[in-house]
Parts: sequence; C-alpha cells; structure tokens
Amino acid sequence: MTDALLSARDVMVRLGGVTIVSDATLTLHKGELAILVGPNGAGKTTLMRALAGLIPADGAIALSGRLLAALKPRERARRIAYLPQGHIFSWPMSVASIVMLGREPHADPFSGTSAEDRAAVERALAVTETSGFAARSVTTLSGGERARVALARALATQAPVLLADEPTASLDPRHQLVVMELLRQAARAGNAILATTHDLTLAARFADRVFVMDRGRIVAEGPPGEALSQERLSSVFDVVAEMIDLAGVRVPMPVRPR
Amino acid sequence: MERTSGYRIELALAALILALAVLSLMVGPAALSPRAALGGLISGDGPAGIIVREIRLPRMLLAALIGATFGLSGAALQGLLRNPLAEPALFGAPQAAAAAAALVIAFGLAPATSFAVPVAGILGATVSIGALVAIAGRRASLTVTLLAGLALASFAGAATALILNLAPNPFIALEIAFWLLGSLEDRSSDHLLIAAPFMLASWVVLAASARAFRALTLGEDAAASLGVDVSRTRLMVVIGVALGVGAAVAVAGAIGFVGLVAPHLVRRAVGSDPARVMLPAALAGAALLLAADIAVRLGPAAVEIKLGVVTALIGVPVFLAMIFRERRLLEGAPS
Repeated sequence: MTDALLSARDVMVRLGGVTIVSDATLTLHKGELAILVGPNGAGKTTLMRALAGLIPADGAIALSGRLLAALKPRERARRIAYLPQGHIFSWPMSVASIVMLGREPHADPFSGTSAEDRAAVERALAVTETSGFAARSVTTLSGGERARVALARALATQAPVLLADEPTASLDPRHQLVVMELLRQAARAGNAILATTHDLTLAARFADRVFVMDRGRIVAEGPPGEALSQERLSSVFDVVAEMIDLAGVRVPMPVRPR
Repeated sequence: MERTSGYRIELALAALILALAVLSLMVGPAALSPRAALGGLISGDGPAGIIVREIRLPRMLLAALIGATFGLSGAALQGLLRNPLAEPALFGAPQAAAAAAALVIAFGLAPATSFAVPVAGILGATVSIGALVAIAGRRASLTVTLLAGLALASFAGAATALILNLAPNPFIALEIAFWLLGSLEDRSSDHLLIAAPFMLASWVVLAASARAFRALTLGEDAAASLGVDVSRTRLMVVIGVALGVGAAVAVAGAIGFVGLVAPHLVRRAVGSDPARVMLPAALAGAALLLAADIAVRLGPAAVEIKLGVVTALIGVPVFLAMIFRERRLLEGAPS
C-alpha cells in the first residue's frame, strides 16, 4: 500500500533474556485510527516502545519507507510522537511550557519559539480542552486533566505518526469520548494513529482497525466486528462478552469472567 | 510563554555578585574602604595593592567561580535525576574528590599547586557521581536516590578515614582534616589557574545538556521520544559535575550544599523550568559562596571559621526543610 506511514515486520523484542514480543507484523495507514488491545502483560507497551524506536528490536520497522534505526533521534522524533503510559511531570512547570515540549524536535537551539510552535501549542491545548489552565502548574491538576495535557504535548509535535499508550486511562466518560473523537479527527487529517486501551467497547466504537495481542503475539487484526468477536474475547481475554447494538455499530460488552 | 519576561533575576543576581565582590576585596584582617580596595586593585601600588591583588582578588574569584560551579552542578544533577534534592555533597562527591586530592598531596605524589591535584579530585568525584547515576539514575525515585546518596557519602567518609589513618605523620593528617572542612584562606592565583580551566569546561559541558533536562521532566521514555539521547545526557552530567566539583574541591576542600540551596532559591522565579534555572542557579551559587566567604572573615574568632562548615550549617537545615515539604513523595508515591 502506498499510504503506509509505519510498517513493522517480524518485530521481536527480548528484555532481560525474556521474549516479550515476537513476530509482530503490522502496518499503520494514513488516515487511520488503529487500536491495540490485549490482556495485561500481553506486550502492548513493549511493542509500542519498539515502534517508537525507544528500545532495540529485531525485525524491520520502517517510517514512510525509511528504516527507523537509520533515522537520527531528532528526525525520528519529528515523525513519531509517543505518549507513554502514566504521565510523568517531574517539575511544577506550567501546562503551556509542558505542551511546548512537544515542539522540542522542531526547535532550533539558537532561536526561541517560532510562530508555528505557538500555533501548534495553541491548537493542541484547544482540541484537548486544556486551554483553560494553560498558565497553571501541571502538578496542581487532577489525573484526568494531566492525561489531557500529556496528550496535548504529544499532539503539539504534529508528527505524522502518533503512538498513544492508554490515552483514555483515568479519564471521565465525557473526556474518554472527547479524546477518542480527537484521535479519530487527527487520523482523518492525514495521520496514522495507534492507541492502546483496555476498554473494548470504546475500541470497537472508534477503531478503524483493531490489533489483538496475546502473550507477545498479534493474534488478530481487522475491523472491530471481526477482531473483537465473542469467541476471541473468550479465548484471549477469558471473559464472556455480549454484543450490543450501539447506533448501528455492534460492540462487545464484557459481562463476566470466564 | 508565561516565563518571567527578560532576564530580571539574572540581572539582579549579577548586581548582587558585583556588590559582594567589592565587599570581598574590602574585608579581612586589614579592613579597606571601597575606595582603597578598588584603588589597590587598579593601581596595584602600596600595601593595599598587594593585599587586594595578591590575597583577596584570587580568593574572591575562587569563591565566585566555585560557587557558580556548585550551583550549576546542583541544577544539572537535579535536572537529570528530576529531583530537587539532588546535590553533589549528598552523594559524597566533594568528600570523594577531597580524599583523592588529599591522597596525592599527603603522600607527596605531586606539589600542592600542580594540575595533578584537580585531576585527582576529578577522578574521585567521577567515581562518586558515576556510581550515583548508575544506581539511582534510571527510575530516580526519591527514596532510592537518597539511600544511594547515603551509602555513597558513607563510603567516601570511610575512604577519607582510611587516608587519615594511613597518613605518614600527624601533621599531614591534621592538614587533611582541615582541608576536608573546606576553605579559601590563603589561596593564590596559582590555585585559580589550576582549577579555573576545569571549572569553565564543566560549565560548557553542563550548559550543553540544559535542553535535555527540560524534556526529561516528562520522564526518560518521553524525553527519548522527543529526540533526547538520555544515556549521553547522563554521561555528560557525570563528566560535567565531576570536572567542576573535582577541580573546586582540589583547591578549596569539601564545600557542600551550595548546589542544593542555589537552585532552590531561584527555581520559582523561572517557573520551575529545569533548563532555564541553570544560569540563575550558577549566579545564586556564586553570590552565596561570596557571601559565606565574607561572613567567615567577619567573625570575631581569632581562627577563621571554615567555609565548608558555614555552607553545611546553612545547607543542612534547608535540606531538612525541603525533605519535610517533600515527605508526601518520600512516603511511597513515585516522584
């Protein structure tokens, strides 16, 4: 396909002598919101970190046809934005200066912030509904507010590929929907997005494509209706799920452990 | 963006340093008026000229350079470890550097004003800072960092005790013991010449990592994803701090806590930005050590109080107050 922004083939990651991810092959397309699901310990975060170029991995990962390993760190940073789980903010910096860190890969060490940087930051603040506390110290915010600031930081880079690890964790229902809508819009604007979540209902509603990961392998890939079937939820997640009809979309709703 | 506009804090600190520098030339066993001190500095004539140029000028410059070096080192370690309590002295770096430098002098391996002394100090500091960053660097939880620091400081203390133990004669042991207290008494331009190049090099190395500290506020993974080479940054900080602290300690002995207090004083003024705090922290460090070195000369005692004693007496209570404020973090929450 010509619109592949990120493609990974046979990715294998070993950490401390243990194989965490094996034979992971996936392609992220322009305009597409892909969601990676899997039980705890399936290797989702490790795969995301490998795709972001943060840990060494066997296999081939390419960005628009260029090998990830051959890119300089700053060049890679301009092409892939990565939102880690857990949102660390070590210093009580203002929200605006945290989001400005997303412009770091574009920064010229000898000049200040450009008009483009400021526009990107303002846009990221606006779409994540965080403009209201741009001047506040990030350490005074609630968990959900911090999660949106972290996402704003990743969006401010305006990289063609966004890898977001649990962007909706710790968000209230409204902001879960806001963030998912936002990721879908960012994808439609011409980016490729891969997000992880434990909310299978949310994944089925918003994903264009779902990857299901289990014990280090991608065991299913496809439209949510196929990838998140009752049988698969039973075999991979060990849950009994019912399918419910949500405005014409059939989404799984886990009802009890198997 | 919301940062304090311009460089108000830097300008204020620079003015303070200038005032303290002049005061530093005036104060001593023979008190000089500002006019006499500056006159002596410019002309170099008469007793005032000799006192100012030969004795007080090197001392004043050393205090400013060493203070700036410690302020910058503290800010850099804090930026790297993402922890406001990081400071070279808490990890025994000055003690390790002093032990190594004293070893060279005590056993007559080199004259006291040769480059061998700062080089030994730098090696000693490298061991201490390198071990700290290796042990506490990756996850940098407050508890682990402080425990690692405690262990390293104890080890440096033991190494120093060993040198005192093995000193060839009691006079040398006494000399080392005084050295460890830290002082700028009777330092000459020779001391300035052997230490300044290393300190200036450390400023360059540390300043080059400033941007990385800003990205590191998001944690190591996010910083790496923003293009920061985290392992390289870690190495540069170890080298930079070791160069500066090692050289400073080689000429002035163990002076602690400037690196803790200086960044703490100016952090709010720069919106807690770990990169933007570097320059004000260096200036505040210079002002602090100049002030402390003036204070030790003002005391009524026949014997000058050692500079390192004064900085510890001021620094430790500040450190305890900071721990008290951060105790919520210490009680288990990740930093």
